[in-house]
Amino acid sequence: MIAAPAGRGRNDSADALETAIARLLVVGTWLAMALVLAGVLLLLASGVDPLTRRDVPAFDPARIPADLVALRPGGFLWAGIALIVILPVGRVVVAGLGFLGARDGRLALVSILVLLVVIVSVAAALGLEG
Amino acid sequence: MIASLVLLGGGAAAGVFGSLLGLGGGILIVPLLTLGFGLPLREAVAVSLVSVIVTSSASAAVYLQRHVANLRLGMTLELFSAAGALVGGLIAFLIAERVLAGLFAALITWVAVSMVRRPDPPRAPAVPPDGTAGEPEPVWPAPVAGSAATREPIAPAAAAPRYRLDAAPSGPAADASFAARISGPGYRVHGLPAGMLGSVFAGVNSALLGVGGGIVKVPVMHLLMGVPLRTATATSNLMMGITATSSAVIYLLRDEIDPFVAGPVALGVFVGASMGSRLAHRVDLQILRWLFVAVLVYTAVQMAVRALGL
Repeated sequence: MIAAPAGRGRNDSADALETAIARLLVVGTWLAMALVLAGVLLLLASGVDPLTRRDVPAFDPARIPADLVALRPGGFLWAGIALIVILPVGRVVVAGLGFLGARDGRLALVSILVLLVVIVSVAAALGLEG
Repeated sequence: MIASLVLLGGGAAAGVFGSLLGLGGGILIVPLLTLGFGLPLREAVAVSLVSVIVTSSASAAVYLQRHVANLRLGMTLELFSAAGALVGGLIAFLIAERVLAGLFAALITWVAVSMVRRPDPPRAPAVPPDGTAGEPEPVWPAPVAGSAATREPIAPAAAAPRYRLDAAPSGPAADASFAARISGPGYRVHGLPAGMLGSVFAGVNSALLGVGGGIVKVPVMHLLMGVPLRTATATSNLMMGITATSSAVIYLLRDEIDPFVAGPVALGVFVGASMGSRLAHRVDLQILRWLFVAVLVYTAVQMAVRALGL
């Protein structure tokens, strides 16, 4: 929850929220890029041609930990890509919590609705798959 | 091995060009992957969306640190761009690739025309300056909490949209005050319905064609909603992440993202965008812009040929 520190103005709350989101995006982006870099290096080491290979590993979150331990490039690449894709969701969550903390009901509701859209996207994709 | 390096290099080239010219990488990555590497258009769009999210997250971090982006306005509009992306992500699987290629040719032509008509870009801007119509250039995310930013600092009084984070009013005054609450210093947001509609269109556009959609959102915010161009550009960049995520999850869960292609390309774009932001003051941007317009025209023709099945 992002709340205004005692004795400071309310604009400091906005600053704190933006800084918290920026920190999340910085850490998340670097972590994701580190995972992708590791995956690319393993891919290069394996000599696999990404443009001609046919056995592309499907996205399976349950398999990622085992692939990471086994140093398979697919595990690192999927972990990095998954982190990239969910990072904006984390940003919306942090912003929503900040707005809730500031008792800004409308923007907190907007944050929830944005998350709802993403959930509907996931549900729709899973529905289409099934 | 060579293919991975080529993808990495291609992503880096897209990142450098995009950064130098104030465009997102998507407008370059999709043609690169389809025309250059022979990937199906839908798969190229999926890979491009991953790169769009990377550049959005990296740039948004910097813009938020510098208080250039308007978080409240961005979050309000991204509800509509994300909804548009959801719709676009779903209909992308119902549309023939030839139609997508035709739409992409039209988009590239639009971008080429706007690049020809825009004023000359100044050198090494701290943020996309007034006069640009596209997406802000991606930059490395700088360390947070008071450490040095990657570029020259912006004068806070001139750059920061200072809104107040306090309890929202309720009752009859609430509707009127909402526009005020998402406004910034020196400007009042108006034309919210136009912004919402434009955001939906940008979201559909992003999901169908794998672009950030700044080419739509920035003019809408600036011209129709009264948002200063610099703030509009930064806010558009902030919105791109969740917009692209809304459709990227559909491509991801439908196994349309190839990690062996998306990984090198996204990494290349990230590195290339950083290089571009550092090269800006050493490159003759006018020559680069005309070269880029030529590339866009060539790409538009190739996409049109593909769309018409010639």
